[in-house]
This record gives sequence, C-alpha cells and structure tokens, in this order.
Amino acid sequence: MTQVRADDRIAARVWEALAHVADPEIPAVSVIDMGMVERVDVAGGRVRVVVLPTFTGCPAVPQIEADVARAAQAVEGVVEARVEMSFDPPWTTDRITPDGRRRLRDFGLAPPEDGVPVLIASIGLPDRARCPFCGSRATRAESMFGPTPCRAVFYCDACRNPFEQFKPV
Amino acid sequence: MSEALAAVAVALADDELVIGHRHSEWTGLAPHIEEDVAFSSIAQDEIGHAAALYTLAGAIVGRNPDALALGRDPSEYRNAVLCERPNGDWAYTLARHWLYDTAEDVRLEALARSADDALRALATKMRREERYHLLHAGTWLERVAQGPVEGRTRIAEALARAYRDALALFEPLEREEEAVRAGWLPDASTELRSRFAQRATGQLDRLGLPTDIGAVADEAAEFVASSSGDLLAAGPAPPEPAVASGGGGRRGRHSADFEALWEEMTRTYRVSPGATW
Repeated sequence: MTQVRADDRIAARVWEALAHVADPEIPAVSVIDMGMVERVDVAGGRVRVVVLPTFTGCPAVPQIEADVARAAQAVEGVVEARVEMSFDPPWTTDRITPDGRRRLRDFGLAPPEDGVPVLIASIGLPDRARCPFCGSRATRAESMFGPTPCRAVFYCDACRNPFEQFKPV
Repeated sequence: MSEALAAVAVALADDELVIGHRHSEWTGLAPHIEEDVAFSSIAQDEIGHAAALYTLAGAIVGRNPDALALGRDPSEYRNAVLCERPNGDWAYTLARHWLYDTAEDVRLEALARSADDALRALATKMRREERYHLLHAGTWLERVAQGPVEGRTRIAEALARAYRDALALFEPLEREEEAVRAGWLPDASTELRSRFAQRATGQLDRLGLPTDIGAVADEAAEFVASSSGDLLAAGPAPPEPAVASGGGGRRGRHSADFEALWEEMTRTYRVSPGATW
C-alpha cells in the first residue's frame, strides 16, 4: 500500500516535470500543452511514459523522446524511466489543451479552430483560422504546406500579415 | 507467421520511401515557391510514414529500420514501379501524385481495419495526414481540368500514361494470402484494385477528363486477375506483367530508373552505415 502511494506521488511529480518539457520546434508549448503524453505508469519507482507523436514524419520526435526521458529520470524517487512512442490512440489536434491553444496564439501560430471537426472521410479544405496577431477571421488559406509538416500558411486580409496555423489533423 | 505482416509493411514502406524520394526531387526546382514547399513537405510526410512502417516491420524481423530502408539491394525492394518513375514534367508529376494518393487512401481505409493493433493504429494516423496530400492533388487536378485546353490535354495524356502503373500498386503482395487469412490485410489486393479503379474513373468523369484509360485498366485488371487464378491452379506459370507496363515491383523487378534512384538514395548509408548527423 505504501509502495502504491509512493508510486502515485512519483507519477504526479513526473506529470509536473513533463509540463516543463518544451516542444523543440515550438518552445512556447510543452508536451503536456500539446496533449502528447498519453500515460505515465509507475511501479516500484520504474516509470513508463507513453508519448504520442504529433505528425508521423516530425523530425523532432527523437529529441522529444530524449527530453521526456531525461525529465522523468530527474524526478525524485525515479529508479528508471522508459519512454514509449505510440500511434495508439492517434494524436489529433483536438488533444491540444486550452492553455496550449493560448500559448500557440501568443507565440504567433494560429491554433486549429475549436469546434471545427476534422473528418477523415471528407476532403474539405480546413480553411478556418483566426489571425493570431489581430484576432480577425477574415483570413484565407494560402497553402496547406508550410515550413514544417504541422504548419499551414494563411494570410490575414484585416491586418495584412501572413501567418501560420497549426494544421488540424 | 507474422513475417507475412512484416512483408506487407515493408512493401508499403518501400512505396512511401521511393515516391517520397521522387517528390523530394522537386525541392528547389518546382514551378513556384508554394509547390516547392508542398512537395518537400509531402516528401517529408511520406518518408516519415516509411520510417514508421520499417520500424513496425523491423520489430518483427529483428532489423534496424535504417538498415531496412537503405541497406538492401535493389532487387530486395518491393515498391510498385509507379513510385520509381522519373518525375518527368509537371503534368506527369501531378497525375502520378493524384493516382498514388487515391490508391493509398483506398489501401489505408482497409488497413485501418487491420487485425494487427500496431498496423491499424499507424494506418489510422497516416490517413489523417494523407488527407492533405489528397486535397493537394485533387485541387490541382480540378484546376487543370477546368483550365485551358493545353493543360487538359497534357494532364489527360499523363493520366493515361500512369494509370496502368497505378493499377500495379495492387499486384498481390508477398505472402499476401497469409496476411489476408490472419486479418492483417483485411481485403485482398484484387478487391482494393477494383475499388481504386472505380473511385479514380468516377472522379475523372466528374472532372470531365477522359475515362477511356479505364479500358486499358480493365484489360490490365483482367490480366492480373486471371494470372493469379492460374497461380492457384496447377499448370504452366502465367506470363508476368512486364516492368515496362508497371508490373513486377512487388516481386523485386524494377526499371533502370530505379537503379539510378537507389544509387543516389542509399549512397550515404553505403559509404558510412550508421552515420548520424
């Protein structure tokens, strides 16, 4: 029983530590903000963290894996930390937390619009984005492909700035 | 037994890696900056999907994913010949892109029902990303189809040239029967091929592009279907579809263009296996 309680305390500390592990490509948000941490299991001080990659081809994945392992390892009471990357369940942009969305916006990257369902079967243009600079919705999609696999390029007709959106998946 | 699952994953990874390599050849050279970025990004997605599939297969056969991707001889690659064709002009690039991504969506839709948990999860994930590729290819096809006659003619010719190769994406995979029996591959390739042919010709029809490439298609489909039937029956081996008409990739037969692509794609790995940067 004592061991179980000790493990629970370690798990809570690991979650807290992971809130400070930044996304290497978008340092304004953490892996927790992005909803990438699926679970933290602790048994006898041994930690297993399951992380969901955002985009399959994201080159930052090995970096994230190493950063998460290092952060978990540094938590008091942790004997060993193991990180597992998984596609089950698939990471989707719906997992980004409200804090994460706010931080993305402050960083200058439009978050995927709330309440816009991402239907796999429909191939509709996910062209809704709110300008992160002036807040206008008078924006248009210029290209669904940007400087990284997760970014689309938009233009704001209100403040006449180009901006990027975190692509809904 | 589960080596049949690894064989399926490797064939699909080879498709993704090789077409990803072709797409990446547009980096720095595409007709305009947005397309340069788009093809580079699509290439990155495809190569990322290949890496995930090689990782899945490598865990089964006990091989490093990099060694699977870059440490094999050309005859060991199981990609369809369509993927290795040179980019040619912009019309061929778009036609191949559209046919490949339409075919891939048909296949991923099936694999998202796979009895293997890891493959099912990966296919589900890939499909969410591939949506953007289909959107890209579909937007271009529509734009060209509704544009001036020169573009329409050139895209129609390119589609006719690539269509037979695209059907050969659905040549039976190695150890496919085992994979189908186990439910890893929920639908047989012949079934996926007719689903693809129907969807592709249906969309071309809606866009007002010629669908008589379907005639070539039916003929090719007939040919492959009867040859696989013959394989089951005792008798002389049926003639195999030639590489020139897009066949053979699933059995490791490739065009001379693949040799050149392989030379370039694997050069760094061959010079220094295990190099990191």
